[in-house]
Amino acid sequence: MTRVFVFTNHKGGVGKSTSATNTALGIAGMLRRAGAPNARVLLIDTDSQAHATLVTTGKKDYGTDDSLYTVLMADRQNAAQTLLNCIVQSTWDADLHVLPASPMLEGAERELMGIAGAPYRLADPLSRIINRYAAIVIDTRPSFSLMTEMGLIAATDAIVPVEPRYLETVGLMSVIGKINDIREGWRQPNLRVSGILVTKMNTRIRGHNHLLDELKGHSVLGKLLLGVVPANEAVSYAHQNHQSIFNYDPKASASKAYAQFVGKLVQRIANGGA
Amino acid sequence: MPAKNQTHRIDDLLGSVTEELLLGNPQQFEDNSIRVERLLLEMVRPDPVQPRRVLPEQLHFAFHSNRLTPTQALKELVQLVQVAARQRGRPFNNVLELLANPDDEGEEDQSFHLSPEEQLLHDLVNLAITIRDDGQVNPLTVVDVSQGVTQQFRIETGERRYWATWLLRDFIAGYNSDGMIPCIIIPAERSSVFRQAKENTARTGLSAIAMARQAALLLLTVHGYELPSHAVSNDFYRQALNLDLRGKREYTESILTAMGGIKKAHFSEIKALLKLSDEALELADRHALEEKRLRYVVTLPQEFHTEIIRQIIDFNLTSKQVKELCAGDGLDSGRQDDEVEHLPALAIKLAKIAQVSNTTTAQDLAQAMMRQEGDANLARARLQAMRKLLTEAERYLTEG
Repeated sequence: MTRVFVFTNHKGGVGKSTSATNTALGIAGMLRRAGAPNARVLLIDTDSQAHATLVTTGKKDYGTDDSLYTVLMADRQNAAQTLLNCIVQSTWDADLHVLPASPMLEGAERELMGIAGAPYRLADPLSRIINRYAAIVIDTRPSFSLMTEMGLIAATDAIVPVEPRYLETVGLMSVIGKINDIREGWRQPNLRVSGILVTKMNTRIRGHNHLLDELKGHSVLGKLLLGVVPANEAVSYAHQNHQSIFNYDPKASASKAYAQFVGKLVQRIANGGA
Repeated sequence: MPAKNQTHRIDDLLGSVTEELLLGNPQQFEDNSIRVERLLLEMVRPDPVQPRRVLPEQLHFAFHSNRLTPTQALKELVQLVQVAARQRGRPFNNVLELLANPDDEGEEDQSFHLSPEEQLLHDLVNLAITIRDDGQVNPLTVVDVSQGVTQQFRIETGERRYWATWLLRDFIAGYNSDGMIPCIIIPAERSSVFRQAKENTARTGLSAIAMARQAALLLLTVHGYELPSHAVSNDFYRQALNLDLRGKREYTESILTAMGGIKKAHFSEIKALLKLSDEALELADRHALEEKRLRYVVTLPQEFHTEIIRQIIDFNLTSKQVKELCAGDGLDSGRQDDEVEHLPALAIKLAKIAQVSNTTTAQDLAQAMMRQEGDANLARARLQAMRKLLTEAERYLTEG
């Protein structure tokens, strides 16, 4: 079964798009390196700000007929074909494909509100082409809106990127609780919280270290910790230059941390289980 | 697109992590097994050079040049059959009406007279209903020919099931499909024209013309010709007329086995059918004429092929009758070039007969023809050939 990783957190600026884009590229690169017959990865950008789209495709002027918006508005019967038609190749890597976001997605939530089956408008067509990809990575907007729900319903693994300053267990538990609500509410038994990715970690800040230690010691959250990405200016510069962190500075500490994190996900893809 | 050196830098970083991951089980990702998956119908396309064609030629070319979508191609086919069926006095509105009603008497006799297009649609509807009722038990065999973001699978075997599934989805009311079709996926590098040939020849109903195309594909492949990914004219297959098994002895056995274990001589006879004119090829293919009835036609000049094949179809001539007919035509046609200087004796005889044609009656002539040929159909074919000859002669006289 193809794993669908969704990066979600209702807080903004925690590194969802950066993590999603670099993870998608990293999975494709590692699978290819490992000799996998299919190393294709699809990145789905559900955030109307379209940052992930911009950095991975070099443009963000996708609209009514070539973006996720088009897929959500398509007839049920044609939605899968529409999805295929809207996918573009990333400028980063031939095996990285992107379903671009569009500013129109903002309005799509209003348009779809009240339409029967609206939350499944991404999961349904995606399920028909999912086998074509080794993995799918979904970037979400910083809220638990309909669009984020659609991403979670389509996903198998929720990954919560979080800054150390938001590491309080209460806050994290609320995010995880929300994901569990969606799993139960929409009856998506395949969806689970697969991991926490700590981003922008500064070991010189005592508070960060303290909160990370607390997380590691937590009986539930500690087991979910998948990686710690250090605060690194290479990440911001890479983003500004529309490059992946691996590409911009492969020797940066953040690059190595992301590579280790991606390695764990690839291992899960290979094992098929947890 | 990242520069090449940058790609290497990424690979070095990710590669070091990958190596750690793969410690102990380096082959865990190298899965080259053949998989069965459910694919979106739109991602699957028939092979344009598949020798066994499902659609009539005109639709085949329109579809493979992307002038028609699968739904449009089927719509055209249905319309084509509706016209043919109306002319035969059995109009229908819904494709399901094509299926025989077991309560209707005499239905079996009627099906005997179905035109090739009616028969094709009838078979497709029948298959569609089987799929609807029992599910798609046999997956299609497809080759993964995806490039970049364009995900596509070329059918190696199972084109009829493909069209039946479209028919079911778009033309049979009340069927709710998820638009997927089960397929055995073969990686592009493991695609094989030999496997396709074996699958084709193992099934009944492969026409002699399809066999000829199949023979051509095998010969062209072993001689290093690249098989195109678009629909091709008959001239593409005719290139095989200049090739033979002797040139590639190491493949002879494989080719003959793939063709259903036939003998070399029969292989050559089948291949020789590609000498037929385009129109004759299409007619013979549509009506699934056997090789033994066609082998004599290829000995004639191409301009006679269509006419003879029409006669074979119209009068259901046997191979023996075709042989006799073609022997006669050969006499008539082989000497056109020297008609002025050295008139053939036969032409002089016919000219003399024309002088006295009003001294006999049509009935006498019919009886004489019957006595000579011993078969009404063959006699009619002879007269038709004669009529054609007379029309041509008149045209020569008119044009001076």
